[in-house]
Amino acid sequence: MSNYFKAPLTRRQCLSLLAKAGSSSAVLGAAGIFGLTNTPVNASPVTLKPLQGKNRKVLILGAGISGLTAAYELERAGYHCTILEASHRIGGRVLTLRRGDFIDELGSPQICPFDDAPNLYFNAGAARIPAHHTGILHYCRTLGVELQLFSNHNKNCYTQDDAAFNGQPVRIREYEADMRGFIGELLAKSATSGAVLDQPFDEQDLDKFIQFAQAYGDLDSSLTYRGTDRAGYAAGGVTTAGILKQPRPLPELLRSDFCAGAMHFAEIADQAPALMTPSGGMDSIVKAFLRQLTTPVQLHCQVSNIQLQPQGVAITYLKQGESYTEQADYCLNCIPAQLVSGIENNLPADYVTIMRQLGRGKLTKIGLQAKQRFWEQEDIYSGISWTKQDITQIWYPHHDAFKAKGILLGAYSWEPQISDRFAAMTHQQRLATAIAQGTKVHANYAQHIENGVSVCWQRMNHMLGCGAVWPEELQKTGFQLLQAPAGNHYLMGDQLSMHPGWQEGAVRSAWHALADIERREALRSTGAQA
Amino acid sequence: MNKIWLVFMLLSSAVLADSKQPDAQYCLVCHGSAAQGNAAIKAPNLTILPDWYLRQQFIAFRNNWRGSATNDAHGKEMQAVANTMNDAEIEQAIAFIRRQAPVKLPISVNTTANVQHGQQLYQQCQACHGAQGEGNAQLHAPPLAGQHNWYLVQQLSAFKNGWRGNQNDDSYGQIMRQFAQSLPDEQAIADVVAYIDSLPSTQPLLRTSR
Repeated sequence: MSNYFKAPLTRRQCLSLLAKAGSSSAVLGAAGIFGLTNTPVNASPVTLKPLQGKNRKVLILGAGISGLTAAYELERAGYHCTILEASHRIGGRVLTLRRGDFIDELGSPQICPFDDAPNLYFNAGAARIPAHHTGILHYCRTLGVELQLFSNHNKNCYTQDDAAFNGQPVRIREYEADMRGFIGELLAKSATSGAVLDQPFDEQDLDKFIQFAQAYGDLDSSLTYRGTDRAGYAAGGVTTAGILKQPRPLPELLRSDFCAGAMHFAEIADQAPALMTPSGGMDSIVKAFLRQLTTPVQLHCQVSNIQLQPQGVAITYLKQGESYTEQADYCLNCIPAQLVSGIENNLPADYVTIMRQLGRGKLTKIGLQAKQRFWEQEDIYSGISWTKQDITQIWYPHHDAFKAKGILLGAYSWEPQISDRFAAMTHQQRLATAIAQGTKVHANYAQHIENGVSVCWQRMNHMLGCGAVWPEELQKTGFQLLQAPAGNHYLMGDQLSMHPGWQEGAVRSAWHALADIERREALRSTGAQA
Repeated sequence: MNKIWLVFMLLSSAVLADSKQPDAQYCLVCHGSAAQGNAAIKAPNLTILPDWYLRQQFIAFRNNWRGSATNDAHGKEMQAVANTMNDAEIEQAIAFIRRQAPVKLPISVNTTANVQHGQQLYQQCQACHGAQGEGNAQLHAPPLAGQHNWYLVQQLSAFKNGWRGNQNDDSYGQIMRQFAQSLPDEQAIADVVAYIDSLPSTQPLLRTSR
């Protein structure tokens, strides 16, 4: 092997190191909490048959994406909808924060302090849409939501890990180039030594394979990695010859956990480029639904009782301290299951038992207003830097380059323990922590940051969690039960999808419930028992 | 006569307004639609707890007697809320809780617990908490009967491991911590809770007038 390996390594050691580099599934599993790694197949949008004069009333509990989707489709088919929302706002976990917005976190209420400017917004909840999320994209297309490109992966961003490189941030470009060089060289030299693959593998295949390894790692003609311009030049490269950067020693690269997790984040089907996001903030989707709805969403309506009845559902709710009851043919319930379990009801006992066992997703996002777009001085436009500290990520805005100011994502953690630590802090302590930790990635971070918002989703009023956490066993035994209607009551939302935390899960859960209502209405019109 | 009637009307509507503050609805987000508790949030039944105890616990959260332990995520949730409330808001919240109609709680039986053993263990509890788990205002001991069994287990564990009753100025908490520490293991906690669970729920009692 080449002198690139500063420390002597045996083949066995190399392979075990390679195994470490490849053993990312556990880490990716955690990183993928915002969506499982399987890709949902395309679905046809639900089309409800018009009621044609029949009178059907539907109560929709919760004005997030699943509730809005259902209301839009039902209204178009002539159903009479009532939409009750417990909080002060519409959109659920589609939360785009701008100046003056109230953040209703239990015990830590805030008013968003950003300057009042169109480019200064923060998607504190849903933030990105993969191209295969055809359900939510169907509504973006048909309701006229303008989209921009969004990327999780930007090679000019940094990876920072106290365990490697003396804690200094390293460009993802350099880290990945060196890691691939090492893997490419290991592959190429293993292949030429002959003792590689079990399956039939002729000379031509072997030649192709070595070419692949060479291209993968950018190896020289002797199949040795000696650095690459993929990492960027140390100097020159435009009007003078470029000078390659010295590769980092492999053991040093492996001291960082980046290779065993975050480096592969954008390989996840739901996270891979190219992603999209609405121009001006994710709540453009909410606004697009509201433009279509004729029924107003009633805010501050906190459901206090759910009663299944022989022919429908009765819902009691509190509004400004007064109690009201409404009856309907159907109830589409988008309230987080962990809150439904505390609402008086006559739902089947096994149904409620499952809801009590669902975990509360613990996620924290912090948005920071920067008075200069200092990241542009470091050749960063969009993307994510990674650090092993609690803040985990820094996102740079994908929009409005060269404007005076910008909103960074200063922390995003989906690890429950980390989110607990942020939740235990005051808002000011959270900002101070985000700035202190961000300073390890950008040395003069503190002097650029003016103010910020922090959102701990497990503490947000009327939600108390982000994305239901289904224990694996419970999902096997309980998911279908909860997905099925109880009488004329349907539980909905991303919590009843294999994509918790994604708008796609919310849309598809609504379509699932609407398809069942359609089936029952068809049976009713033929006089059969629904 | 008319004047007296008018004053009475005004007073009662003021009380009504106090207990109907939309803010007090916050309580019901975690504690359930009738303050009956919610297992998914690990929020206790408030309807069985008398005013003095609710007040005492707001003070306990504010004083860091509850919610200060690093891993006590649920305690910290309530502590964050308590810290944002002033005295008047606490009284409004208590008044609001008092107005909630009692709700029948689901029965969850712990089949692995030994109720008889629990009854023996409970003998040391009843001096303060009463033979029927009805509580004792003079001794600052809350009612236990009618509380969710998972919450009682959680709190006994919290006293035992020092999340509660571990502060010098929390004298009642310290007393409770000693008793909790005398329960040797999880089984003992399960047993004594199973016995408390078997006691008929007493109505909210000892509503001390302030």
